[in-house]
Parts: sequence; C-alpha cells; structure tokens
Amino acid sequence: MKLLLLGMNHRSAPLDLRERLAVNEPGPFVQKLVACEEIEEAVLLSTCNRVEVVALTRSPEAARLRLRSFFRRELGGDPVLQERGLDEALYEYRDGEAMRHVMRVAAALDSMVVGEPQILGQTKEAYRAAVEAGACGPILDRLYQRAFAAAKRVRTDTRIAEGSLSVARVAVGLARQIFEDMSGKRALLIGAGEMAELALGALRDAGVASLAVANRSAERAAQLAVAYGATAHGLDELPRLLAESDVVLTSIGGDRPILRVDTLEPALRARRGRPIFVIDIGVPRNADPAIDRLDDVYRYDIDALAAVASGNAEERRREQARAEAIVAEEQQRFEGWFAALRAVPTIRDLRGRVESIRARELERSLPRLGLDDETREAVEALSRALVNKILHAPLARLRHEAEREEGMAYLEVARLLFGLDEADGESGAAAQGPPDADPEES
Amino acid sequence: MVVALHTLTGALYLVACLASGAGLALGSARAMRVAVGALAAGALAHGLTFSLLHTANPPPPLTDLAWAASLMSWIGTLAYLALLRRTRVSGLVVLVAPMAFLGVFLAALRLPGPVEATTAGSASLAHAHVLLASAGFALLGLAGLCGALFLAEHRRLKRRQALPGSGLPSLESLDRAGAVALAIGFPLLTLGVVTGAMWVHAARESWDGNAHEIGALVAWCLYLLLVLQRFAVHQGARRCAISALAGFALLSVWVVGVEVLA
Repeated sequence: MKLLLLGMNHRSAPLDLRERLAVNEPGPFVQKLVACEEIEEAVLLSTCNRVEVVALTRSPEAARLRLRSFFRRELGGDPVLQERGLDEALYEYRDGEAMRHVMRVAAALDSMVVGEPQILGQTKEAYRAAVEAGACGPILDRLYQRAFAAAKRVRTDTRIAEGSLSVARVAVGLARQIFEDMSGKRALLIGAGEMAELALGALRDAGVASLAVANRSAERAAQLAVAYGATAHGLDELPRLLAESDVVLTSIGGDRPILRVDTLEPALRARRGRPIFVIDIGVPRNADPAIDRLDDVYRYDIDALAAVASGNAEERRREQARAEAIVAEEQQRFEGWFAALRAVPTIRDLRGRVESIRARELERSLPRLGLDDETREAVEALSRALVNKILHAPLARLRHEAEREEGMAYLEVARLLFGLDEADGESGAAAQGPPDADPEES
Repeated sequence: MVVALHTLTGALYLVACLASGAGLALGSARAMRVAVGALAAGALAHGLTFSLLHTANPPPPLTDLAWAASLMSWIGTLAYLALLRRTRVSGLVVLVAPMAFLGVFLAALRLPGPVEATTAGSASLAHAHVLLASAGFALLGLAGLCGALFLAEHRRLKRRQALPGSGLPSLESLDRAGAVALAIGFPLLTLGVVTGAMWVHAARESWDGNAHEIGALVAWCLYLLLVLQRFAVHQGARRCAISALAGFALLSVWVVGVEVLA
C-alpha cells in the first residue's frame, strides 16, 4: 500500500484557479474516488487556501493519473484547465512526504498564516466527510488521528498559535493603517461561516463601535449577531449597510462577486469620500477586483492578506522549528505503524497455517482418545494456549522488525521457514484473517 | 549666540531626520519617538534663536528669503507638534524633520554675512506680511507633506504592500491633519496676502503687478478653490491629498521660486 497526495495551495496556484476547484461538499467526490479500483481510501480537503486529495493505493502510478484526471474533470469540470496551468500548480507527495504534509497542514505549519486556528477544524471536517462517505479506511483513519494529535501538541507545546497573525487579525492590523481609531468605526460582515465568525471576534476585539452581520440565512445571521453583540440583516439591506460601514468583511458563498463597482459607487457617494476597507476572505472571491479602481476602496483578498502576514511572521517561524520537530515525531510513529502493516500478510498466513495444523491434529486425535466434553474442551484450550505461547515471541519480533527498512528480510525468512508461499496440500487454504487487520492487534 | 543656537537647531533637526529614517527603516517606534523628541528640542532652540535675533549685529530682517525659510520651518515644526496633540501623525516626522532641517540649512548658508534691507515702506506691515505669509506657507506646506505621505501610503495599500506596525500614520490621520493644516493655513495665507497688498500700497501707492505679487494672488485663488473642494464639495481623500501637494508645489514655485530668480 502506498500513500499519494495530490493538491494545490496558496503557494502553488493563484486564487482564481483555487476558486475554480474549491468544493463545499467533499463527500460525493471522495465516494467517486474510492469507487475507482486504483484507490482504496481517500480524503479531500478543500479550503480557501488549498485543495488536496490524499489517497491510499496499491498502484501509485495509476492512482496518480486518476487523481490528475479527477482534479481536471471532476473538480474543475473543465478540460481547458490543463491549459491554464493546472498541471504546473499541482504538487505530489508520496508515502513519508505525504504523511508529513498531512500533519503539517493539520498543525497549520503549511498555512498561509502559520499557526492560524481554522485549518485544524477544516481538516477535521474533511476527515469526517470522508468517514461518512465511506472513503476513509483504517489506514487514513490512523493517519488523520496522528495528524490531529500532532496538531494538538503543536498548539499546546509551542507558542505558534499565540500572537496576532490569524488572517482576521492581520486584516484588523491593516484597518489600523487606514483608520485612525477603530473605536468609532462600523464593521459589516457579509456571510456567516466559521471564518467569518473568527473575523467578527477580531473586529470586536479591535474595538469597533458597531457590528452588523448580513447573510442569506437570516437565522444564522441572528445567531452570530446575538453571540457578538451585532445587528442581523438580510442581503437586501446591503446598499444601506455599505454606505454606513467603514470595514466590510466578506466570507459568503456564491459564484458572482457580491461587492462590485456598481454596488460600491452609490455607497461611496453617500459616504462623502470616507474610505471603505474591504476584506475578502471568501473563496470564490466575494469582491470584484475591478473595485480597486475606486479611490476610496481598499480591497485585500486572502492572497494579499497572506503577503502582508508573511512580513510579520519571523517571530512565529522560530516556534515553527519546534513544531516541525513534533510533526516529525508523530510522522515517525505513524510511519512505524504503517510499515508494520507489511507484516500483516505474513502474520496472518503464519497464524492460519499453525491454526490449521492445530485444528487438523485435534480433529485426528480427539476421537481416538474418547474424552468427555469437559476434558475435550480443556484439551482444545490447551492446544490454543500452546500455539499462542509459541507464536507470541516470533510474531512480536516480526511486527517490530517490519517497522524497520531491513525488516523485509525477517518476513521473507519467516515465509521461507514455514513454507507460507507453498501450496498447503494437507491443510488446504490457510485461514484468512480480516483484510484490514491491525498489526498491533494480530 | 544667534549663530550658535541656529547651528544647534540644525543639528537637532538633523538628529530628528536620522532617527526618523532609522525608525522607518527598522520599524522602530522608539526611534520615531526619539525623532519627535529631537524635533521638539530643535523647535525650542529655534524659538530661542528667533527671540535673540534682535541682538545680532546687524539684525537680519525676516523679509530676507533665507530667514523667512527658517521662520517657515520653525512655524511648520510647531504646527506639526501641535497637531500631534489632536491627531496620530507622529510618523509624519519622517517628512517634517528633513523640511525643518532644510529651512535652517538655507538660512545658515546666509549667516553671518550681510543681509539685504528690503523693508521699504512700513517695516511693521512688512514684518506682519512676512510673519503671516510664512505661517500660512508653513501650514500649507504641512498640508502638502500630509498629502505626500497620504499618497505614498495610499499607493502601498492599493498595491497591497502595506506593513502593519511600520509606524507611519493611518490614511485617516493624515487626511485629518492635512484638513486642519489647510483650515488654519489658508486664512493665514489670506492675511499674508492682504498685509502684503497693504505693504505694497504703503510703499508704492500702486500695484505694479510683479511676478511675486501675481504669483501670490494666483496661488491664493487656487488655494481658495482647493478649500472649497475640500470643505464644501467633500471630494475624496486622495484627490484632496493631490490638491494639497500640488497647491504647495505651485505656491513654492511661484512665490519662492520667483523671489529666488529675481
């Protein structure tokens, strides 16, 4: 089994390409993936900064081609994407590198803003969707559990999550470059997702005078408004709200930008030259880049915020080294477990072979002994105990050695010594264990 | 004594220049505070220089362009320090300090040599004209500096190259400081123009329409337009910044440039 990861992020692909590939519901997509014979398990992570698929496969080359085609046709829905630099934007990681990447992503070490808190929740969502779609098997399940453990350790054991560098907080820092004092300012939040909620908290902490939430779902807007002391509105009130707002934060779904030149111009006229700071953290973008030509509008999308954040991240990068060490440790643990999976077929065959011998010999001997039921059960238990006692040490050694690179030699010797690859005419087919047996439980 | 104090003023303004440059380059708030402190100390020494000016032999007339430049830089510095009490524009020191140093440096070039006596007619009217026009010029210069920094910051924000924590003032602060400077500077300039006309009338009893007088009148008319656009029409902050910068450049060229060329 091999791990293969294919994806694009804020470093490898421009926002407009990521926008085209972003998906809201990954479940149906991973179901399609695992329906392909090349792919055993799959998880799809789609956030505003990345679209990645991690897959477990027996044939990496075929899976690689399948995933590339998947990005092009299923996610992009447009074969022309290939010409627009999709192939160049996609990166690939295999096995150890893929494991490390999954853990780094969950721990926010690969994030646009290192240490930002949102990505762990988004990774958990992607994992949950894969589990619910039946696309996440025992191996990816284990990988993600280790990734979550790594992320938790990184957040608790390092200071990487401290400071003020979440996307929302960077945006607040920029607002202070435009406005003298946030205390008299009005902020408008368009959308009501998780990211929007974090941004709302940052704006409230910055001391804005009033907060307004506008959303398609009035119910969700009302929930946020109650939680953050804001007022809730429908999108139909947007023209009036825009005219009153100094900071406009958008994080709403939709194919068409909600903030355009024609929506902002009347607001700017009403504001008599007072500027509007537009923070667009939506993917696809909620603010049309054409609004940049309006003098009093300052628009920062998620890529622009990243560029600003990278200028402030030096202090956090020192902590990053510690976080990377934690990830490496967790990766090593998972790699050990993953490598030990190589021992599973040998252990399963060996157990099956010995078990079949035990069963056959008991079947042959017990009728001749003429034992009563109670004694017969005692003899059967004795034979099982003997088999277990004899096999315990060699199986433990096989499991241990399989975690190492040179462990394959032990597995081959075991197969040779016990003739596991030879036809077993006497015993028939070896008993089969569960296909996804955990080596630690064998 | 006057020369020594004036040199000290220049030195303090130079320290303010260097500290503000370092503060900007390193993003150091402490360096910016040092720059503001040095500028304030320089303004104090500058004030002492002017208070002792009458002890110089012969006392240089303020109508001399070099001393007028020094006076403008002092008033501009005082206006900036006063603005700090109402607006958060301490980062503007990166432009104010070099301008203040330049004013003192220009005056120092004329020290201690002989000076021209240009106060024909009423000396008090001449000095009132110079004081009022210099004060107006200094404040409009401050508005121009606010405009220049606004445009630079606006450009950085539009290009998404802004750096939070750079120590530079916010756009809103710069716009507000520029508006205050314009609101005070324009009436002072108006009074300067009026006293200038009175001085000309007292000296020559007729207006001969030389380049300085025409330039001053045209600049005043343009500033009137700018003030109306700013406070009556409420044009956008970027346009206001461009107008303030362009207006000051025009005023400098027509009034000072014509004087120098003459």
